[in-house]
Amino acid sequence: MLRLINCQNATRLLDQQPDRALPWGTRASLWLHLRYCPYCNRYAKQTVLIAEWARVAAASRASSGPTLPEAAKERMRARLAEAGA
Amino acid sequence: MTPSIPIPAQWPARYGDELFRFALSRVSDTDVAEELVQETFLSALDGLATFRAEASERTWLFVILRRKIIDYYRRQARSKQVSLDEIGEGGATEADFFNPENGHWTGPQAPASWLNADAALEQQELHDILLRCQQRLPAQQGAVFAMRFVEELSAEEICQELGLSSANYWVIVHRAKLQLRRCLEKHGLGKN
Repeated sequence: MLRLINCQNATRLLDQQPDRALPWGTRASLWLHLRYCPYCNRYAKQTVLIAEWARVAAASRASSGPTLPEAAKERMRARLAEAGA
Repeated sequence: MTPSIPIPAQWPARYGDELFRFALSRVSDTDVAEELVQETFLSALDGLATFRAEASERTWLFVILRRKIIDYYRRQARSKQVSLDEIGEGGATEADFFNPENGHWTGPQAPASWLNADAALEQQELHDILLRCQQRLPAQQGAVFAMRFVEELSAEEICQELGLSSANYWVIVHRAKLQLRRCLEKHGLGKN
């Protein structure tokens, strides 16, 4: 059944959408809300962007960060040797 | 060429940098990242018998490190056990964003347009701001956010890892997203 929802409910549903299929009626209510609410419309796009940026930012750090200091490598070699390597 | 028989003594020199960068991209603390890499090598040494020669040694070590990182998030999330009512402790609750009477955005919290987000900030700057905003989240929210959106675990897997109900999980994710959105906006997005 189509019912009017507020911004708090709409944004909750937007954050649930990637993880669960919303029932038809709920989806329709969300669609209707987004038709008239510019703020939740922005939120819908921004919440997706935040997730995307977090993933890309971590991948970028993983490919360009600092190297493991030589002293740490030496300690690790020693620990591995102690452990029987 | 990757040898088919692992040589543990060579792991630090051969894979240390890559594993360390990966760990550091997740935990942002060099001591913790080093520890995770060391634990990865020691666990790999323990499980040497489970290594299959047809697999890549590098991939195998990354699988172990990823598991260690998820364990780290779990410890972070559980460092302070919180009930559903207390999830907002140390962070914002939904009442900070929405009018309690009608559930609509309160004036100053209403999302601004990010239409020119790409133009307003360099990508590196955007990544740095997002990281700082993530670090400001309460521990449990930060861990759940990273597990879901950086490690890309499913909601089900996260609930299982952290012993959360799905209702609890949704509240945490929603609050984390609301706070990150506001934090990003405060630090340069939506002001153009």
